[in-house]
Amino acid sequence: MSNTDAVDSEVSSSRAPASRFQTSHRLFSTLEGVFNEEVFFLILCVFIGIFSGLAVVCFRLAIDWTHLALLGPLPQTHSWRLFAVPSLAGLVVALLVLRVFPNIRGSGVNQTKAALYIFNGFIPFRTAIGKFICSAIAIGSGQSLGPEDPSLQIGASIASALGRQLQISREKLRLMAPVGAAAGLAAAFNAPISAVLFVIEEVIGRWSAGILGSVVLSAVSSVVIVRWFLGSEPLFRIPVTTFKGPAELLAYAVLGIVGGLASVAFAKSIGYLRPRLNRLPRWTQYLQPAVAGLLIGLIAFLGAPQVMGAGYDSMDQAMHGQYAWKFLAILAVLKILATTLSFASGAPGGMFAPTLFVGAMLGGAVGDIEHFFFPHLTVSTGTYVLVGMGVLFAGFLRVPMTSVFMVLEVSGNYEIIVPVMVANTFSYLISRSLQDVPIFDLLTRQDGLILPSLEEEREETILRVEDAMLPVPATILNAEDYVDANARRVQDSADSIFLVRMHPSGWNTISRDQLLRLFREGKGELTLGSVLPPQSLPALYPDLPLDAALRYVNDYPVVIVVNRANSRQLEGVISRESVFKKYGSARSGDGSYQGTP
Amino acid sequence: MSLRFPKLVPRSAPVILLVLTLAAATGFAAVNHLVARFTANQQARGRKLYRLGLGDANAGRYDDAIAAFRAALTCDPTNSEYQLWLARALRDSNDPRRLDEAESYLITLWQRSPQDAAVNLALARVAAHRGSIEDATRYYHNAMYGVWNADPDLNRTNARIELIKFLLNKGASKSAESELIALATSLPSDPAARLQAAQLFAQAGDDAGALARYEEVLHLEPSNPAALAGAGQSAYRAGNYAAAQQYLQAAINANPQDAKTLQLLASTTLVLRSNPFQSHISDAERNRRIAAAFAQSEKRLTECARQTGVDLTTEAPSPGSALSTLQSRWTATQPDLARLRSPAETDLPDTIMDLVFQVEQKTAAICGQPEGLDLALVLISQKGEASGQ
Repeated sequence: MSNTDAVDSEVSSSRAPASRFQTSHRLFSTLEGVFNEEVFFLILCVFIGIFSGLAVVCFRLAIDWTHLALLGPLPQTHSWRLFAVPSLAGLVVALLVLRVFPNIRGSGVNQTKAALYIFNGFIPFRTAIGKFICSAIAIGSGQSLGPEDPSLQIGASIASALGRQLQISREKLRLMAPVGAAAGLAAAFNAPISAVLFVIEEVIGRWSAGILGSVVLSAVSSVVIVRWFLGSEPLFRIPVTTFKGPAELLAYAVLGIVGGLASVAFAKSIGYLRPRLNRLPRWTQYLQPAVAGLLIGLIAFLGAPQVMGAGYDSMDQAMHGQYAWKFLAILAVLKILATTLSFASGAPGGMFAPTLFVGAMLGGAVGDIEHFFFPHLTVSTGTYVLVGMGVLFAGFLRVPMTSVFMVLEVSGNYEIIVPVMVANTFSYLISRSLQDVPIFDLLTRQDGLILPSLEEEREETILRVEDAMLPVPATILNAEDYVDANARRVQDSADSIFLVRMHPSGWNTISRDQLLRLFREGKGELTLGSVLPPQSLPALYPDLPLDAALRYVNDYPVVIVVNRANSRQLEGVISRESVFKKYGSARSGDGSYQGTP
Repeated sequence: MSLRFPKLVPRSAPVILLVLTLAAATGFAAVNHLVARFTANQQARGRKLYRLGLGDANAGRYDDAIAAFRAALTCDPTNSEYQLWLARALRDSNDPRRLDEAESYLITLWQRSPQDAAVNLALARVAAHRGSIEDATRYYHNAMYGVWNADPDLNRTNARIELIKFLLNKGASKSAESELIALATSLPSDPAARLQAAQLFAQAGDDAGALARYEEVLHLEPSNPAALAGAGQSAYRAGNYAAAQQYLQAAINANPQDAKTLQLLASTTLVLRSNPFQSHISDAERNRRIAAAFAQSEKRLTECARQTGVDLTTEAPSPGSALSTLQSRWTATQPDLARLRSPAETDLPDTIMDLVFQVEQKTAAICGQPEGLDLALVLISQKGEASGQ
């Protein structure tokens, strides 16, 4: 081989890696171009769903393992374990919560809301670890709590940590917690639609394509992960559910009323006991979960082990008519008591499962009683159990939309949508009328936080443009008319600003002084349109929120309000003064506006 | 204490996604390992509980079995076998409230595997517990034509036999007969199965079919006492008294303690000895049998009138007027007995026996089932009616 050949060979061998580097660099550059923040965020949501799903799978295994290790596969009444296990586990949980993992008390829904509204999406990752360990011990040992809310917070925590690590924008970081929450809840419930609705209805409170897309992506991907590992079996074996006819709606309405009253009792009992236990000396907080566990153990020992833990097996049996109505009613009352004790004691765990439990038992009891007195009116107890779940969800958690879809998603039966809607509406209305503050807002206020109440926001009467709208002015000038003619028209008018209809379309304004000055300057022979600037006034529609007018009233003396069907038809005008006057009257209470402007 | 991630991840989107993908894959593998181990442990625990449940179920301790199967299912919630056994225990526990839950488990299994014969059979039994003929028939048929893991022919036959028994218990004889016809074509050559089929034919009232099945059993096992007795009973009910006597006698020879067969044999023998229309008897014997039957009918009439308090001498209409009428006819016919020997009186035996049969049937209706010669005469009259039809 010649020297030249050797040099060529060296050059070519040194060129090859350089070329590969350039290729991969180009590829990365191209990919960088593809991944704008929106696209990147959506892909990130899928990963959040995957990580949350994996975490929830582990969480469920941890609960099952703890339950089996501590209580055995099927707790029997009159066993010493029923006392010992929840009490001792309560001590361990209290120690962990007070010493190692502060801020993991409660369900986790409020903490997620707080992350969104107060802490710029920040939830310490340590919260996820603490929630995982302590909730698994508490629920597995028989505290009357559920795994859904902790799953929600674990998901939110993972998402928040990931967002911080990747240094995404503050706006997106705020959204990370709800996105993770939806993933966690969807994985825990195996019900993506309900999870998405709950997060939007209770945590985020607003809809947009971006929010919906990200929440849906994370929820779906987490459910796929959970189903991959744990199977797609529903939480319950749904019995044959039937709807007999319109007359049966009366029976469901009764269930809604009873459920609404029970929801209020449930919420008030927690709202009453929790702050009182919190105010006790700090050393008692080490004992509170243990005492709660002891009392729950006593309930189980005396014949109702069904109240321990999440209670899905018992709900399943209630759905298949395994309990008489008296026992169902007793279980509903005992579960309210047990959950109040567990939750108020500070044991970490959720209220979703207990809510479903109480609703299921209450539904079964009401259904059985109604069937006894009106056998022609009702069909199967299983349907009432299912509807009862939604009723408590609507009344206690105050999430009417989620409650309907939750029942539909869990049952997979569209036929019961009408009974569910009727019963849930009654329950929701009764709960709202007897308990002003929804349970999550109540807990937030007890913790000293002021978070937006999404229910209150939903119920707000919004001020609209039409509320501040002034009548169409008597004198409207025409841009095609001459200045002198227009000047003559305004001479006797009391108004100082006049609307001008432009040709061929659009509106403008001119003041009386301006018009008279033009006339004096000898421009009377010109058309008004030719002397006015070409800008056009912004137009608003009467049904728009009044806030929309604020963008314009400082820049324009008047803003026109036009008909949605015909934009040339003038409905009225608004001015800065009319808008502020309306806000002022609303705040002083003579208007219908109830919110904070 | 605040837990922080090390900020090592480059800020380039493709690299971030690559790292996330690797992290997800690692997490997936780790969780997969964890789930596999947990599931294996749970399954082992579930099998132990399942075996306990099986023992309880086989011993009839259904409450304990249900608890054990439930516990097994908490360990292995998707196990079809546990679900099936739990459903069976729930169904067999004789608690109507548990039928719903049993059905729900079975429906879930059925939706997963609609061709599974065991699940269909279990569902059929739930429907049978509920008394739903339509559902039970549908599921029994599914079981018959479904997939069996072992002994498909035997299991299918047993399923059909179970369906027939259910239909007979519910009084759906027509449906039962249809199933019996199908059963007859698919019976194995096992004598026990054929004997059971013959008994079902008999239970359904198809005496000819039953006799044919019993004869098939006797062809395989000529001295089977149950088949001999069954064949005798079927022949007896079918009015084939000669064959009945033959089978019943053989049954008694095989099992002399069989009281019911003895009684039937006595009745059959009496029928054969009293029937004046039997072939291969002389005229004198025929006349003797007619005279004996005529005399017996008068005794039966008198006895029945005494039992019911009817005075046969009065002519006024009364509840016992039918008996009075028959008594009058009997008295009017009595002189005709002497003319039986005359070769010209060809219709007289029928006329006299018609009256005898009317007396026996009417008294049977008023005074209850007769015994002895009266019973034999009723049976002869029924056979005559059957042959007349």
